[in-house]
Amino acid sequence: MNALLSAEWLKLRSVRSTYALVAVAASAVLLAALLTWPAVVAWDRQPPEVRARWQGIPIEQYLVFVPQLCMGVLGVLAVSSEYATGLIRPTLVAVPGRIGVLAAKAAVVGAAGLVTGEAAVFGTFAVSRALIGDRPFPNHTSPLPEELPLLLCLGLSVAVFAVVGLALGAATRSTAAGVVCVVAVLFVIPVIVSYLPGPWNVRVGAVMLPDLPTQLVGAVFDTGITTGPWARVAFLPPGWAWAVLAAYVVAPLAAAAVLLRRRDA
Amino acid sequence: MIEIRDLVKRYGRTTAVDRLSFTVRPGRVTGFLGPNGAGKSTTMRVVLGLDAPTSGEALVDGRRYASIRGPLHHVGALLDASAVHPGRSGYDHLRALGRTNGIGPRRVAGLLEEVGLAGAARKRVKEFSLGMRQRLGIAAALLGDPAVLMLDEPVNGLDPEGVRWIRGLLRSLAAEGRTVLLSSHLMSEMELTADHLVIIDGGRLVADSPMRDLVPDGGSLEDVYLRLTARGPAREAAR
Repeated sequence: MNALLSAEWLKLRSVRSTYALVAVAASAVLLAALLTWPAVVAWDRQPPEVRARWQGIPIEQYLVFVPQLCMGVLGVLAVSSEYATGLIRPTLVAVPGRIGVLAAKAAVVGAAGLVTGEAAVFGTFAVSRALIGDRPFPNHTSPLPEELPLLLCLGLSVAVFAVVGLALGAATRSTAAGVVCVVAVLFVIPVIVSYLPGPWNVRVGAVMLPDLPTQLVGAVFDTGITTGPWARVAFLPPGWAWAVLAAYVVAPLAAAAVLLRRRDA
Repeated sequence: MIEIRDLVKRYGRTTAVDRLSFTVRPGRVTGFLGPNGAGKSTTMRVVLGLDAPTSGEALVDGRRYASIRGPLHHVGALLDASAVHPGRSGYDHLRALGRTNGIGPRRVAGLLEEVGLAGAARKRVKEFSLGMRQRLGIAAALLGDPAVLMLDEPVNGLDPEGVRWIRGLLRSLAAEGRTVLLSSHLMSEMELTADHLVIIDGGRLVADSPMRDLVPDGGSLEDVYLRLTARGPAREAAR
């Protein structure tokens, strides 16, 4: 297993696409600065009655889709690039145990996703709080120790996206199809679900992958947003949210493993 | 040794390989011939455990490929020289393959020297010519110093010096007692390299015999091959 892990790690770090995706994921920190700065300037100009009506999604939640998307695509590419080039055959000739190959890839992209995700989330948090200073921005005032569990869970969700992307790439054997599926899981399906008639918008929305980090730690924010990509529902108790998150790792990987074993390479 | 026994492989309604049986023995170069779509590549993929046979079996040294641990130390294969990530360097490509079978960077560096890629190995493969990719694919096949080699069209894209090099390489590997299965459409090259021929057509065995028995003195392999694989009346007449 060690040999497989080190081989997959070498593959991941020996292509430029990996560095490009990590760089774009890290650009969330820059985006956080670019979005927070004008908000801070605007805040300072507003009279108290306007500030009282001010609402804001915590910036690290608002921007976590950037690393989620990038690492989801990284997961897709880790396997779809092998199908696109035909490299999958030499890979499986060297390692006939296909499940081992999938597991090693999952571990490697999951680890890359976790490190990148945590770095991007903590970076966006740090940069936005530094700019906001001691201004009483709604949802942006709690200190780091209080936010820590949620920030860690947001970073973790990035790793889960990487693994889901890998499974989708392995199942579709196509970069285009895999990326479309990642975008569907990240944006398209959650947005459609948010427009379902109640209570189904909340019940189904609760199991959408982007909605899980806040539910994992029982965090609730009143942002007034109930539809669209930044609507967040709070429905599942943390225990159930963790179970659903685990299912997002296990179910797609298991499906990909079955397909990988059954199909001719 | 490679043994193909009653191998059948169907893709949907298409039968790619139809009750094929033959044995590839060590110590000689066995040429694997057949028209496009005859089932050569399918047979090789089944041997390597990439495709599952519909029925029958393919064994390497008496074992199914999937049951071999560290398979690169037993079997080396070149199926498609373009099966490399274009953005990865040749060196990293070989190192990643080698690591899965416990093959270290020294062996990789030595092989790159042997196949004449030492100078280009740090370049990304997208900058490689077809001939360089063939050399990289041959290096990948030789990684684990295997006793069984299967090469699908390794000569394509090589320059005359490269063609002569691979001919000598395959002949010396066979002389060392290894099993070498070589597929190619280049009849003149096959005539110079192979000792034994397996010819298939439409997924079935057409010929399995030593080169000297198949090709009479003064005759050409090309004539024999075209007669054996001709469709319809010509083939019936040839029988």
